[in-house]
Amino acid sequence: MALIETRNCTVRYSSGTPFEKEALSDVSVCIEEGEFVGVIGHTGSGKSSFVQLLNGLLKPDSGTVLLDGRDIWEQPKDIRRVRFEVGMVFQYPEYQLFEETVYKDIAFGPQNMGLSDEEIRERVHTAAKWVGLKPELLAKSPFELSGGEKRRAAIAGVMAMRPRVLILDEPTAGLDPRGRDMILNRIRAYQQEFHTTVLLVSHSMEDIARVADRVLVLNRGSAAMLEPTETLFSHVTQLESMGLSVPAVTRILLKLRERGVAVPDHVYTVEDAARVLLPLLKGGDIHVG
Amino acid sequence: MLADITFGQFFPGNSVIHRLDPRIKLILTFAYILLIFLPDNWVGLAAAVVFLGISVMLSRIPLKPVLKGLKPVIPLLIFTSLINMFYVDGTPLFSFWIVTVTREGVFTALFISVRILSLIAAGSLLTYTTSPTTLTDALERVLSPLKLLHISVHEIAMMMTIALRFIPTLIEETDKIMAAQKARGADLESGNVLQRVRALIPILVPLFISSFRRAYELATAMECRCYHGGDGRTRMKQLHLCGRDYVALGCMAAFVALLIVSNIYVPAMI
Repeated sequence: MALIETRNCTVRYSSGTPFEKEALSDVSVCIEEGEFVGVIGHTGSGKSSFVQLLNGLLKPDSGTVLLDGRDIWEQPKDIRRVRFEVGMVFQYPEYQLFEETVYKDIAFGPQNMGLSDEEIRERVHTAAKWVGLKPELLAKSPFELSGGEKRRAAIAGVMAMRPRVLILDEPTAGLDPRGRDMILNRIRAYQQEFHTTVLLVSHSMEDIARVADRVLVLNRGSAAMLEPTETLFSHVTQLESMGLSVPAVTRILLKLRERGVAVPDHVYTVEDAARVLLPLLKGGDIHVG
Repeated sequence: MLADITFGQFFPGNSVIHRLDPRIKLILTFAYILLIFLPDNWVGLAAAVVFLGISVMLSRIPLKPVLKGLKPVIPLLIFTSLINMFYVDGTPLFSFWIVTVTREGVFTALFISVRILSLIAAGSLLTYTTSPTTLTDALERVLSPLKLLHISVHEIAMMMTIALRFIPTLIEETDKIMAAQKARGADLESGNVLQRVRALIPILVPLFISSFRRAYELATAMECRCYHGGDGRTRMKQLHLCGRDYVALGCMAAFVALLIVSNIYVPAMI
């Protein structure tokens, strides 16, 4: 059974007014326990609406959202419990920091869950370690941290709730390449350690290609594809028609294939490309043109 | 919940009222708000209501938002009406226990209610038909004589423009922060008053911080474009009075004349 599932979910904004807009139409998606799913789509494709549906911040106008096979809106009063199980890190999460110290801010979620002080302490320290925050930073005010550290503190605040599903909306937006790599690596390592189900929303194909097992492509409010990462990038034309591009390195290799060089078509990271191309270059049997 | 605020909203349109010079609209609205307290007889009061009614009709604003804007003042109306009915001396209509309702009291209550409603409706009509930027522009021009008193009119108008411009931004920001804190299990809906106030801290602190951040960013951006206040600043959209503005002024003059004549010749009711 799928861990989290949407069945024919439709979300409308401003329904009943002339400004009515359908953000999601009839989306049915199944996500298994322990998966790392990338969610990608052009601006306005419904990515944010889709993930907010999963933790009950948005209520579908029709259709159901199932967690462990149970409708999350079965008892609307218990929606907080769903939010503890489905953790959500918003875009630019550093703007939600508010406490006097980093420690207290990370502890905000666990405290709302009503955990004991020891449990909270343990969770805060573990979460801080996972995102790579030094223990001495915990006593500082969150507003003294650097941009990247703030972002990681905010992510730790959600990780500390130990959700079964962790959703991250553009966690690398506005970071430099090193900060981006650091966050993606930490999230990947966390997912493998705890077997958490992770959904990573991004519009960067490069990011998604590096970490995701499967990719959900949203286009104009519908789920256009849900495929393993290896096969996704062979649909170049289809992706481009949705305003998405395949990673630059994949495009190069596909062009090479077109010209008759024997390279596989599912290479999407620079490291893999190097592994494939170096022997060919050393062997000296690439003759293009 | 935050999207329900209608007061001060702008309904774009192309009616005569929309196209009036904003300075004229501002002055006429202000004049109307003062004049509504002039009539002491039903002819003058009816004229004021009809004058406003015609203006609303000309603006082609649907009646619903206009009426919706009046809703919040109803408790105030009921309160002042009750006070007036019981405390104004005059010919008693009826009395019970220790209170006496007088004829004059009822009329005063009626007049005050109509005046307050017209006042609010006139103010709403101004904001419904004038975009915030045009309105502050007009305000700056109308108040410009105050420069002689060393009041920095331009800066005040600029502050108003910026404040108005950031209202939707702040609403959006609040929604985002609320969603983020709810995702961390913040409980905004239950608990007693104290708990609810405490629950606002995780929302207000980030909101304040981001407002300051925005203010700094905006100040830097303005300085980068060499903004240095109002001196010698020219406008992209120059305001010119034209035919319909003089017609509007004429209508207002006729209305004032009617009020004065009715006050002299029609017996006063309050």
